[in-house]
Amino acid sequence: MPALAGQPAEAITGAMLAYRAGQGSPTVMDRIARGFTEEEIRAIAAWVSASR
Amino acid sequence: MRRRALLGAALLAAPALAQAAPKVVVIGGGFGGATAARALHHLGVSVTLVEREATYLSCPFSNAVIAGLREMEAQRFGYEGLRREGIAVIHREARTVEGRQVVLADGATLPFDRLVMAPGISLRPDAIPGLDTEAMPHAWRAGPQTLLLRRQLEAMEDGGVVVLSAPANPYRCPPGPYERASLIAHYLKTQKPRSKLILLDEKDAFSKQKLFEEAWAALYPGLLEWVPLSAGGKVVEVDAAEQLVRTEFGEHRAAVASIIPPQAAGRIAQAAGLTDRSGWCPVDPVSFESRQRPGIHLIGDAIIAGAMPKSAFAANAQARVCAEAVAALLRGEAPAPPKLINTCYSLVEPGYGISIAGVYQPANGLLADVPGAGGTSALGAPAAVRAAEAGYAEDWFRTITADAFG
Ligand SMILES: Cc1cc2nc3c(=O)[nH]c(=O)nc-3n(C[C@H](O)[C@H](O)[C@H](O)COP(=O)(O)OP(=O)(O)OC[C@H]3O[C@@H](n4cnc5c(N)ncnc54)[C@H](O)[C@@H]3O)c2cc1C
Ligand code: HEM
Repeated sequence: MPALAGQPAEAITGAMLAYRAGQGSPTVMDRIARGFTEEEIRAIAAWVSASR
Repeated sequence: MRRRALLGAALLAAPALAQAAPKVVVIGGGFGGATAARALHHLGVSVTLVEREATYLSCPFSNAVIAGLREMEAQRFGYEGLRREGIAVIHREARTVEGRQVVLADGATLPFDRLVMAPGISLRPDAIPGLDTEAMPHAWRAGPQTLLLRRQLEAMEDGGVVVLSAPANPYRCPPGPYERASLIAHYLKTQKPRSKLILLDEKDAFSKQKLFEEAWAALYPGLLEWVPLSAGGKVVEVDAAEQLVRTEFGEHRAAVASIIPPQAAGRIAQAAGLTDRSGWCPVDPVSFESRQRPGIHLIGDAIIAGAMPKSAFAANAQARVCAEAVAALLRGEAPAPPKLINTCYSLVEPGYGISIAGVYQPANGLLADVPGAGGTSALGAPAAVRAAEAGYAEDWFRTITADAFG
Protein backbone atom coordinates (compact mmCIF):
# COMPACT_ATOMS: atom_id res chain seq x y z
CA MET A 1 0.00 0.00 0.00
CA PRO A 2 1.43 3.46 -0.84
CA ALA A 3 2.36 5.56 2.21
CA LEU A 4 0.15 8.58 2.92
CA ALA A 5 2.80 10.61 4.75
CA GLY A 6 3.91 13.59 2.71
CA GLN A 7 1.00 13.50 0.25
CA PRO A 8 -0.95 16.75 -0.21
CA ALA A 9 -3.43 17.43 2.61
CA GLU A 10 -6.20 18.26 0.12
CA ALA A 11 -5.84 14.83 -1.53
CA ILE A 12 -6.02 13.03 1.82
CA THR A 13 -9.01 15.12 2.93
CA GLY A 14 -10.77 14.49 -0.38
CA ALA A 15 -10.23 10.72 -0.17
CA MET A 16 -11.45 10.60 3.45
CA LEU A 17 -14.58 12.65 2.69
CA ALA A 18 -15.33 10.37 -0.28
CA TYR A 19 -14.91 7.26 1.91
CA ARG A 20 -17.19 8.85 4.50
CA ALA A 21 -19.81 9.55 1.83
CA GLY A 22 -19.78 5.87 0.80
CA GLN A 23 -17.91 6.35 -2.48
CA GLY A 24 -15.44 3.87 -3.97
CA SER A 25 -15.19 0.29 -2.76
CA PRO A 26 -12.93 0.36 0.31
CA THR A 27 -12.49 -2.64 2.61
CA VAL A 28 -12.20 -0.62 5.83
CA MET A 29 -11.71 3.13 5.26
CA ASP A 30 -15.46 3.84 5.08
CA ARG A 31 -15.88 2.31 8.56
CA ILE A 32 -13.04 4.46 9.89
CA ALA A 33 -13.89 7.71 8.05
CA ARG A 34 -17.45 7.73 9.43
CA GLY A 35 -15.98 8.20 12.92
CA PHE A 36 -14.61 11.68 12.18
CA THR A 37 -16.05 15.13 11.52
CA GLU A 38 -14.91 17.11 8.49
CA GLU A 39 -12.93 19.40 10.79
CA GLU A 40 -11.15 16.42 12.35
CA ILE A 41 -10.44 14.94 8.92
CA ARG A 42 -8.83 18.23 7.81
CA ALA A 43 -6.67 18.29 10.94
CA ILE A 44 -5.55 14.66 10.53
CA ALA A 45 -4.83 15.20 6.83
CA ALA A 46 -2.68 18.25 7.59
CA TRP A 47 -0.76 16.29 10.21
CA VAL A 48 -0.25 13.23 7.98
CA SER A 49 0.79 15.44 5.08
CA ALA A 50 3.38 17.20 7.23
CA SER A 51 4.88 13.98 8.64
CA ARG A 52 7.75 12.24 6.91
CA MET B 1 15.46 34.43 19.42
CA ARG B 2 11.85 34.89 20.39
CA ARG B 3 11.59 31.23 21.42
CA ARG B 4 14.71 31.61 23.58
CA ALA B 5 13.14 34.57 25.40
CA LEU B 6 9.90 32.71 25.99
CA LEU B 7 11.76 29.68 27.27
CA GLY B 8 13.71 31.92 29.65
CA ALA B 9 10.49 33.37 31.02
CA ALA B 10 9.06 29.90 31.53
CA LEU B 11 12.14 28.79 33.42
CA LEU B 12 12.00 31.83 35.72
CA ALA B 13 8.35 31.12 36.41
CA ALA B 14 9.00 27.46 37.19
CA PRO B 15 12.38 27.11 38.90
CA ALA B 16 11.68 23.48 39.87
CA LEU B 17 11.55 22.49 36.22
CA ALA B 18 14.83 24.25 35.53
CA GLN B 19 16.64 22.07 38.05
CA ALA B 20 15.72 18.67 36.60
CA ALA B 21 13.86 17.61 33.49
CA PRO B 22 10.80 15.56 34.49
CA LYS B 23 11.39 11.83 34.37
CA VAL B 24 8.96 9.30 32.95
CA VAL B 25 9.36 5.55 33.47
CA VAL B 26 7.52 3.07 31.26
CA ILE B 27 7.00 -0.50 32.54
CA GLY B 28 6.46 -3.13 29.83
CA GLY B 29 7.95 -3.04 26.33
CA GLY B 30 5.11 -4.64 24.37
CA PHE B 31 2.92 -2.96 21.76
CA GLY B 32 1.66 -0.49 24.37
CA GLY B 33 4.83 0.29 26.33
CA ALA B 34 7.32 0.37 23.44
CA THR B 35 5.05 2.70 21.46
CA ALA B 36 4.57 4.93 24.52
CA ALA B 37 8.33 5.13 25.19
CA ARG B 38 9.05 6.16 21.59
CA ALA B 39 6.17 8.64 21.45
CA LEU B 40 7.25 10.29 24.73
CA HIS B 41 10.84 10.46 23.53
CA HIS B 42 9.70 12.14 20.30
CA LEU B 43 7.79 14.67 22.41
CA GLY B 44 11.05 15.58 24.14
CA VAL B 45 10.37 13.76 27.41
CA SER B 46 13.17 11.87 29.17
CA VAL B 47 12.08 8.19 29.24
CA THR B 48 13.35 4.95 30.78
CA LEU B 49 11.74 1.69 29.64
CA VAL B 50 11.73 -1.32 31.98
CA GLU B 51 11.14 -4.65 30.21
CA ARG B 52 11.70 -8.11 31.67
CA GLU B 53 12.66 -9.86 28.42
CA ALA B 54 15.62 -9.19 26.11
CA THR B 55 13.41 -9.48 23.00
CA TYR B 56 9.68 -9.26 22.36
CA LEU B 57 7.60 -11.99 20.71
CA SER B 58 4.46 -10.73 18.99
CA CYS B 59 1.14 -12.51 19.58
CA PRO B 60 -0.40 -11.04 16.39
CA PHE B 61 0.28 -13.64 13.65
CA SER B 62 1.34 -16.24 16.26
CA ASN B 63 -1.70 -18.36 15.35
CA ALA B 64 -0.08 -18.72 11.92
CA VAL B 65 3.07 -20.01 13.65
CA ILE B 66 0.99 -22.64 15.49
CA ALA B 67 -0.53 -23.76 12.18
CA GLY B 68 2.91 -24.06 10.56
CA LEU B 69 2.32 -21.14 8.17
CA ARG B 70 5.00 -18.88 9.63
CA GLU B 71 8.22 -19.16 11.63
CA MET B 72 8.69 -17.83 15.17
CA GLU B 73 11.62 -15.62 14.20
CA ALA B 74 9.20 -13.44 12.18
CA GLN B 75 7.51 -12.65 15.53
CA ARG B 76 10.65 -11.45 17.31
CA PHE B 77 11.50 -7.77 17.86
CA GLY B 78 14.43 -6.24 19.73
CA TYR B 79 14.95 -2.95 21.54
CA GLU B 80 18.01 -1.73 19.57
CA GLY B 81 15.72 0.65 17.67
CA LEU B 82 14.71 2.37 20.91
CA ARG B 83 18.29 2.46 22.24
CA ARG B 84 19.56 3.93 18.97
CA GLU B 85 17.12 6.82 19.38
CA GLY B 86 18.48 7.48 22.87
CA ILE B 87 15.84 5.78 25.02
CA ALA B 88 17.23 4.04 28.12
CA VAL B 89 16.06 0.41 28.16
CA ILE B 90 16.54 -1.66 31.32
CA HIS B 91 15.97 -5.40 31.06
CA ARG B 92 14.77 -6.16 34.55
CA GLU B 93 11.52 -7.22 36.19
CA ALA B 94 9.66 -4.41 37.95
CA ARG B 95 8.35 -5.72 41.29
CA THR B 96 6.15 -2.92 42.56
CA VAL B 97 5.65 0.83 42.81
CA GLU B 98 6.29 2.63 46.10
CA GLY B 99 5.33 6.29 46.18
CA ARG B 100 7.01 7.87 43.15
CA GLN B 101 9.53 5.06 42.66
CA VAL B 102 9.51 1.83 40.69
CA VAL B 103 11.10 -1.01 42.66
CA LEU B 104 12.95 -3.50 40.47
CA ALA B 105 13.35 -7.22 41.26
CA ASP B 106 16.91 -6.68 42.53
CA GLY B 107 15.75 -3.92 44.88
CA ALA B 108 17.06 -1.03 42.78
CA THR B 109 14.67 1.92 42.47
CA LEU B 110 13.79 4.28 39.63
CA PRO B 111 12.23 7.61 40.60
CA PHE B 112 9.60 9.12 38.28
CA ASP B 113 7.43 12.21 37.91
CA ARG B 114 4.93 10.16 35.95
CA LEU B 115 4.79 6.42 35.31
CA VAL B 116 3.25 4.65 32.32
CA MET B 117 2.45 0.96 32.78
CA ALA B 118 1.67 -1.49 29.97
CA PRO B 119 2.20 -4.89 31.63
CA GLY B 120 -0.30 -6.83 29.52
CA ILE B 121 -2.13 -9.76 31.09
CA SER B 122 -1.64 -12.40 33.74
CA LEU B 123 -3.15 -15.83 33.10
CA ARG B 124 -5.15 -17.71 35.73
CA PRO B 125 -4.81 -21.43 34.92
CA ASP B 126 -5.73 -22.21 38.58
CA ALA B 127 -9.30 -21.18 37.71
CA ILE B 128 -9.66 -24.44 35.73
CA PRO B 129 -9.18 -27.45 38.06
CA GLY B 130 -6.63 -29.95 36.74
CA LEU B 131 -5.18 -27.65 34.09
CA ASP B 132 -1.52 -28.29 33.28
CA THR B 133 -0.39 -25.72 30.73
CA GLU B 134 2.40 -27.99 29.47
CA ALA B 135 -0.10 -30.76 28.65
CA MET B 136 -2.69 -28.34 27.23
CA PRO B 137 -0.86 -25.19 26.16
CA HIS B 138 -2.78 -21.90 26.07
CA ALA B 139 -0.21 -20.20 23.83
CA TRP B 140 -1.85 -16.91 24.82
CA ARG B 141 1.54 -15.28 25.26
CA ALA B 142 3.79 -15.83 22.26
CA GLY B 143 6.84 -17.95 23.17
CA PRO B 144 7.58 -21.56 24.16
CA GLN B 145 3.84 -22.27 24.50
CA THR B 146 3.30 -21.31 20.85
CA LEU B 147 5.94 -23.77 19.66
CA LEU B 148 4.78 -26.46 22.08
CA LEU B 149 1.26 -26.37 20.64
CA ARG B 150 2.64 -26.47 17.10
CA ARG B 151 4.78 -29.53 17.92
CA GLN B 152 1.81 -31.29 19.51
CA LEU B 153 -0.23 -30.74 16.34
CA GLU B 154 2.64 -31.95 14.16
CA ALA B 155 3.03 -35.10 16.30
CA MET B 156 -0.69 -35.88 16.28
CA GLU B 157 -1.84 -38.79 14.15
CA ASP B 158 -4.39 -38.20 11.42
CA GLY B 159 -7.90 -38.78 12.80
CA GLY B 160 -7.30 -37.15 16.19
CA VAL B 161 -9.62 -34.67 17.88
CA VAL B 162 -8.24 -31.21 18.62
CA VAL B 163 -10.07 -29.43 21.45
CA LEU B 164 -9.73 -25.65 21.81
CA SER B 165 -11.38 -23.38 24.35
CA ALA B 166 -12.36 -19.72 24.34
CA PRO B 167 -12.82 -17.87 27.66
CA ALA B 168 -15.61 -15.57 28.83
CA ASN B 169 -15.22 -11.81 28.23
CA PRO B 170 -13.11 -9.80 28.79
CA TYR B 171 -9.84 -11.33 27.56
CA ARG B 172 -6.88 -10.52 25.29
CA CYS B 173 -7.79 -10.47 21.58
CA PRO B 174 -11.54 -11.22 21.30
CA PRO B 175 -11.32 -12.79 17.78
CA GLY B 176 -8.06 -14.67 18.60
CA PRO B 177 -9.54 -18.07 19.58
CA TYR B 178 -11.63 -18.15 16.38
CA GLU B 179 -8.67 -17.25 14.19
CA ARG B 180 -6.72 -20.03 15.94
CA ALA B 181 -9.54 -22.52 15.35
CA SER B 182 -9.67 -21.49 11.67
CA LEU B 183 -5.93 -21.81 11.03
CA ILE B 184 -5.63 -25.13 12.90
CA ALA B 185 -8.61 -26.37 10.87
CA HIS B 186 -6.72 -25.33 7.74
CA TYR B 187 -3.71 -27.33 8.95
CA LEU B 188 -5.88 -30.39 9.62
CA LYS B 189 -7.72 -30.08 6.29
CA THR B 190 -4.49 -29.95 4.33
CA GLN B 191 -2.27 -32.29 6.44
CA LYS B 192 -4.51 -34.55 8.56
CA PRO B 193 -7.90 -34.59 6.83
CA ARG B 194 -9.53 -37.32 8.96
CA SER B 195 -9.13 -35.20 12.10
CA LYS B 196 -11.68 -32.99 13.79
CA LEU B 197 -11.63 -29.74 15.78
CA ILE B 198 -14.00 -28.85 18.61
CA LEU B 199 -14.06 -25.27 19.87
CA LEU B 200 -15.59 -25.07 23.35
CA ASP B 201 -16.82 -21.55 24.11
CA GLU B 202 -17.78 -19.94 27.41
CA LYS B 203 -19.94 -17.49 25.40
CA ASP B 204 -22.97 -17.67 23.12
CA ALA B 205 -21.72 -14.91 20.80
CA PHE B 206 -18.29 -13.73 19.65
CA SER B 207 -16.39 -11.17 17.60
CA LYS B 208 -16.90 -11.31 13.79
CA GLN B 209 -19.13 -14.36 14.42
CA LYS B 210 -21.12 -14.20 11.16
CA LEU B 211 -17.93 -13.80 9.11
CA PHE B 212 -16.20 -16.71 10.85
CA GLU B 213 -19.29 -18.91 10.50
CA GLU B 214 -19.59 -18.03 6.81
CA ALA B 215 -15.95 -19.00 6.29
CA TRP B 216 -16.21 -22.20 8.37
CA ALA B 217 -19.27 -23.39 6.44
CA ALA B 218 -17.42 -22.85 3.15
CA LEU B 219 -13.95 -24.07 4.18
CA TYR B 220 -14.25 -26.51 7.06
CA PRO B 221 -17.70 -28.21 6.97
CA GLY B 222 -17.79 -31.29 9.22
CA LEU B 223 -14.26 -30.52 10.44
CA LEU B 224 -14.74 -27.56 12.79
CA GLU B 225 -17.49 -27.64 15.39
CA TRP B 226 -18.23 -24.63 17.61
CA VAL B 227 -19.93 -25.43 20.93
CA PRO B 228 -21.48 -22.32 22.53
CA LEU B 229 -22.05 -21.85 26.27
CA SER B 230 -25.71 -22.82 26.00
CA ALA B 231 -24.77 -26.14 24.37
CA GLY B 232 -22.22 -26.98 27.07
CA GLY B 233 -19.24 -24.98 25.91
CA LYS B 234 -17.89 -23.99 29.33
CA VAL B 235 -14.82 -25.98 30.39
CA VAL B 236 -15.24 -26.83 34.10
CA GLU B 237 -12.34 -29.24 34.65
CA VAL B 238 -9.60 -31.07 32.79
CA ASP B 239 -7.73 -34.31 33.36
CA ALA B 240 -4.28 -33.69 31.97
CA ALA B 241 -3.07 -37.29 32.26
CA GLU B 242 -6.07 -38.67 30.35
CA GLN B 243 -6.31 -35.67 27.99
CA LEU B 244 -9.94 -35.22 28.99
CA VAL B 245 -11.73 -31.86 28.84
CA ARG B 246 -14.93 -31.74 30.90
CA THR B 247 -17.72 -29.27 30.21
CA GLU B 248 -21.00 -28.58 31.95
CA PHE B 249 -22.65 -31.13 29.62
CA GLY B 250 -20.10 -33.90 29.06
CA GLU B 251 -16.49 -34.66 28.24
CA HIS B 252 -14.18 -34.68 25.22
CA ARG B 253 -11.06 -36.80 24.77
CA ALA B 254 -8.45 -34.71 23.00
CA ALA B 255 -5.44 -35.78 20.98
CA VAL B 256 -4.31 -32.17 21.33
CA ALA B 257 -5.92 -29.51 23.54
CA SER B 258 -5.34 -25.78 23.86
CA ILE B 259 -7.17 -24.35 26.86
CA ILE B 260 -7.14 -20.56 27.24
CA PRO B 261 -7.58 -19.66 30.92
CA PRO B 262 -9.32 -16.57 32.28
CA GLN B 263 -7.11 -13.50 32.54
CA ALA B 264 -6.47 -10.35 34.55
CA ALA B 265 -4.14 -7.35 34.35
CA GLY B 266 -0.40 -8.12 34.59
CA ARG B 267 0.80 -8.95 38.13
CA ILE B 268 2.66 -5.68 38.69
CA ALA B 269 -0.62 -3.78 38.24
CA GLN B 270 -2.12 -5.87 41.02
CA ALA B 271 0.99 -5.45 43.23
CA ALA B 272 0.86 -1.68 42.77
CA GLY B 273 -2.81 -1.49 43.76
CA LEU B 274 -4.05 -0.43 40.34
CA THR B 275 -6.65 -3.15 39.74
CA ASP B 276 -10.25 -3.14 40.96
CA ARG B 277 -12.35 -6.17 41.92
CA SER B 278 -12.62 -7.20 38.26
CA GLY B 279 -8.85 -7.76 38.17
CA TRP B 280 -8.40 -5.03 35.54
CA CYS B 281 -7.34 -1.37 35.88
CA PRO B 282 -9.85 1.49 35.80
CA VAL B 283 -8.45 4.59 34.05
CA ASP B 284 -9.53 8.05 32.97
CA PRO B 285 -10.33 7.78 29.23
CA VAL B 286 -8.74 11.14 28.38
CA SER B 287 -5.37 10.86 30.18
CA PHE B 288 -5.24 7.08 30.82
CA GLU B 289 -4.32 7.99 34.41
CA SER B 290 -5.21 5.37 37.02
CA ARG B 291 -8.41 6.05 38.93
CA GLN B 292 -6.72 4.51 41.97
CA ARG B 293 -3.24 6.09 42.02
CA PRO B 294 -2.59 9.55 40.59
CA GLY B 295 0.63 9.97 38.59
CA ILE B 296 0.44 6.43 37.19
CA HIS B 297 -0.97 5.93 33.68
CA LEU B 298 -1.99 2.56 32.23
CA ILE B 299 -2.56 1.41 28.65
CA GLY B 300 -3.13 -1.77 26.66
CA ASP B 301 -4.56 -5.12 27.71
CA ALA B 302 -4.35 -4.31 31.45
CA ILE B 303 -7.02 -1.58 31.41
CA ILE B 304 -10.79 -1.38 31.45
CA ALA B 305 -11.23 0.40 28.13
CA GLY B 306 -15.01 0.31 27.74
CA ALA B 307 -15.90 -0.55 24.14
CA MET B 308 -12.27 -0.81 23.01
CA PRO B 309 -11.01 -4.41 22.75
CA LYS B 310 -7.73 -5.74 24.14
CA SER B 311 -5.67 -5.68 20.95
CA ALA B 312 -2.19 -4.67 19.87
CA PHE B 313 -3.80 -2.05 17.64
CA ALA B 314 -5.66 -0.59 20.64
CA ALA B 315 -2.55 -0.70 22.87
CA ASN B 316 -0.63 1.25 20.21
CA ALA B 317 -3.39 3.86 19.80
CA GLN B 318 -3.76 4.28 23.56
CA ALA B 319 0.02 4.64 23.90
CA ARG B 320 0.10 7.57 21.49
CA VAL B 321 -2.80 9.30 23.22
CA CYS B 322 -1.32 8.62 26.67
CA ALA B 323 2.09 10.00 25.63
CA GLU B 324 0.48 13.26 24.49
CA ALA B 325 -1.48 13.44 27.75
CA VAL B 326 1.59 12.81 29.92
CA ALA B 327 3.57 15.46 28.02
CA ALA B 328 0.71 17.95 28.43
CA LEU B 329 0.40 17.25 32.17
CA LEU B 330 4.16 17.69 32.64
CA ARG B 331 3.79 21.13 30.99
CA GLY B 332 0.96 21.89 33.41
CA GLU B 333 -1.68 21.74 30.67
CA ALA B 334 -4.91 19.74 30.51
CA PRO B 335 -4.87 16.87 27.98
CA ALA B 336 -7.27 17.15 25.03
CA PRO B 337 -10.08 14.57 24.68
CA PRO B 338 -8.95 11.96 22.12
CA LYS B 339 -10.47 9.85 19.39
CA LEU B 340 -8.96 6.41 18.92
CA ILE B 341 -9.18 3.81 16.16
CA ASN B 342 -8.99 0.03 16.38
CA THR B 343 -8.88 -2.48 13.54
CA CYS B 344 -8.48 -6.22 14.13
CA TYR B 345 -7.71 -8.45 11.20
CA SER B 346 -8.13 -12.23 11.40
CA LEU B 347 -7.05 -14.90 8.93
CA VAL B 348 -9.39 -17.83 8.36
CA GLU B 349 -7.03 -19.45 5.85
CA PRO B 350 -3.99 -18.12 3.98
CA GLY B 351 -5.15 -15.32 1.65
CA TYR B 352 -8.57 -14.98 3.36
CA GLY B 353 -8.75 -12.04 5.79
CA ILE B 354 -11.65 -10.43 7.66
CA SER B 355 -11.71 -7.37 9.90
CA ILE B 356 -13.58 -5.50 12.59
CA ALA B 357 -12.99 -1.77 13.11
CA GLY B 358 -14.16 0.85 15.58
CA VAL B 359 -13.66 4.52 16.43
CA TYR B 360 -13.82 5.48 20.12
CA GLN B 361 -14.13 8.60 22.25
CA PRO B 362 -14.51 9.28 25.99
CA ALA B 363 -18.14 9.19 27.19
CA ASN B 364 -19.44 8.71 30.73
CA GLY B 365 -15.96 7.98 32.04
CA LEU B 366 -15.20 5.18 29.57
CA LEU B 367 -14.20 4.82 25.92
CA ALA B 368 -17.39 4.47 23.87
CA ASP B 369 -18.05 3.72 20.21
CA VAL B 370 -18.48 6.78 18.00
CA PRO B 371 -22.01 6.14 16.69
CA GLY B 372 -22.25 5.28 13.00
CA ALA B 373 -18.59 4.31 12.63
CA GLY B 374 -16.90 0.92 12.71
CA GLY B 375 -18.25 -2.55 12.05
CA THR B 376 -17.09 -5.70 10.31
CA SER B 377 -16.16 -6.64 6.73
CA ALA B 378 -19.13 -7.35 4.46
CA LEU B 379 -20.71 -10.81 4.49
CA GLY B 380 -20.67 -12.60 1.16
CA ALA B 381 -17.79 -10.51 -0.23
CA PRO B 382 -15.89 -11.92 -3.22
CA ALA B 383 -12.57 -13.75 -2.79
CA ALA B 384 -10.64 -10.72 -4.09
CA VAL B 385 -11.84 -8.63 -1.13
CA ARG B 386 -10.84 -11.38 1.34
CA ALA B 387 -7.43 -11.57 -0.35
CA ALA B 388 -7.04 -7.77 -0.14
CA GLU B 389 -7.77 -7.83 3.59
CA ALA B 390 -5.28 -10.68 4.14
CA GLY B 391 -2.70 -8.44 2.47
CA TYR B 392 -3.72 -5.42 4.56
CA ALA B 393 -3.31 -7.56 7.69
CA GLU B 394 0.34 -8.06 6.79
CA ASP B 395 0.76 -4.35 5.95
CA TRP B 396 -0.71 -3.56 9.36
CA PHE B 397 1.72 -5.93 11.10
CA ARG B 398 4.70 -4.27 9.41
CA THR B 399 3.41 -0.79 10.25
CA ILE B 400 2.62 -1.42 13.90
CA THR B 401 5.82 -3.30 14.70
CA ALA B 402 7.82 -0.49 13.09
CA ASP B 403 5.87 2.07 15.12
CA ALA B 404 6.50 0.20 18.37
CA PHE B 405 10.08 -1.00 17.92
CA GLY B 406 11.52 1.43 15.34
C1 LIG C 1 -3.05 -15.57 19.56
C2 LIG C 1 -3.16 -14.08 19.61
C3 LIG C 1 -3.35 -13.35 18.45
C4 LIG C 1 -3.46 -11.96 18.48
N1 LIG C 1 -3.64 -11.28 17.31
C5 LIG C 1 -3.79 -9.95 17.33
C6 LIG C 1 -3.99 -9.23 16.11
O1 LIG C 1 -4.04 -9.80 15.01
N2 LIG C 1 -4.14 -7.88 16.18
C7 LIG C 1 -4.09 -7.22 17.36
O2 LIG C 1 -4.23 -5.99 17.34
N3 LIG C 1 -3.89 -7.86 18.54
C8 LIG C 1 -3.75 -9.21 18.55
N4 LIG C 1 -3.53 -9.89 19.74
C9 LIG C 1 -3.57 -9.13 21.02
C10 LIG C 1 -2.23 -8.49 21.37
O3 LIG C 1 -1.21 -9.45 21.43
C11 LIG C 1 -2.32 -7.78 22.71
O4 LIG C 1 -3.51 -7.02 22.77
C12 LIG C 1 -1.13 -6.85 22.92
O5 LIG C 1 0.05 -7.61 23.00
C13 LIG C 1 -1.30 -5.96 24.15
O6 LIG C 1 -0.18 -5.15 24.31
P1 LIG C 1 0.30 -4.68 25.76
O7 LIG C 1 1.43 -3.75 25.52
O8 LIG C 1 -0.85 -4.25 26.58
O9 LIG C 1 0.83 -6.03 26.46
P2 LIG C 1 1.99 -7.04 25.99
O10 LIG C 1 2.16 -7.04 24.55
O11 LIG C 1 1.70 -8.33 26.68
O12 LIG C 1 3.30 -6.42 26.61
C14 LIG C 1 3.56 -6.42 27.99
C15 LIG C 1 5.07 -6.37 28.19
O13 LIG C 1 5.34 -6.03 29.55
C16 LIG C 1 6.37 -6.85 30.04
N5 LIG C 1 6.18 -6.91 31.49
C17 LIG C 1 5.04 -7.31 32.14
N6 LIG C 1 5.22 -7.19 33.47
C18 LIG C 1 6.47 -6.69 33.66
C19 LIG C 1 7.22 -6.36 34.83
N7 LIG C 1 6.70 -6.52 36.06
N8 LIG C 1 8.46 -5.87 34.67
C20 LIG C 1 8.99 -5.72 33.42
N9 LIG C 1 8.34 -6.03 32.29
C21 LIG C 1 7.08 -6.51 32.42
C22 LIG C 1 6.19 -8.18 29.31
O14 LIG C 1 7.40 -8.93 29.28
C23 LIG C 1 5.74 -7.71 27.93
O15 LIG C 1 6.82 -7.51 27.06
C24 LIG C 1 -3.39 -11.28 19.72
C25 LIG C 1 -3.19 -12.01 20.90
C26 LIG C 1 -3.08 -13.39 20.86
C27 LIG C 1 -2.86 -14.14 22.13
C1 HEM D 1 -5.67 3.68 11.75
C2 HEM D 1 -6.39 2.83 11.07
C3 HEM D 1 -6.40 2.77 9.57
C4 HEM D 1 -6.38 1.63 8.81
C5 HEM D 1 -6.33 0.21 9.34
C6 HEM D 1 -6.41 2.04 7.43
C7 HEM D 1 -6.43 1.16 6.34
C8 HEM D 1 -6.56 1.54 5.03
C9 HEM D 1 -6.80 0.63 3.94
C10 HEM D 1 -6.94 -0.88 4.08
C11 HEM D 1 -6.87 1.37 2.79
C12 HEM D 1 -7.19 0.85 1.38
C13 HEM D 1 -8.66 1.18 1.10
C14 HEM D 1 -9.59 0.18 1.79
O1 HEM D 1 -9.59 -0.99 1.43
O2 HEM D 1 -10.31 0.57 2.76
C15 HEM D 1 -6.66 2.74 3.17
C16 HEM D 1 -6.63 3.81 2.30
C17 HEM D 1 -6.56 5.14 2.69
N1 HEM D 1 -6.54 5.63 3.97
FE1 HEM D 1 -6.53 4.52 5.66
N2 HEM D 1 -6.42 3.41 7.36
C18 HEM D 1 -6.43 3.91 8.64
C19 HEM D 1 -6.51 5.23 9.03
C20 HEM D 1 -6.55 6.31 8.17
C21 HEM D 1 -6.65 7.70 8.59
C22 HEM D 1 -6.75 8.19 10.04
C23 HEM D 1 -6.64 8.43 7.47
C24 HEM D 1 -6.71 9.94 7.39
C25 HEM D 1 -5.71 10.65 7.07
C26 HEM D 1 -6.53 7.52 6.32
C27 HEM D 1 -6.52 7.89 4.99
C28 HEM D 1 -6.52 7.01 3.93
C29 HEM D 1 -6.50 7.42 2.53
C30 HEM D 1 -6.44 8.86 2.04
C31 HEM D 1 -6.50 6.25 1.77
C32 HEM D 1 -6.45 6.17 0.23
C33 HEM D 1 -5.01 5.93 -0.20
C34 HEM D 1 -4.88 5.79 -1.69
O3 HEM D 1 -5.86 5.43 -2.34
O4 HEM D 1 -3.75 6.00 -2.15
N3 HEM D 1 -6.48 6.24 6.80
N4 HEM D 1 -6.46 2.82 4.54
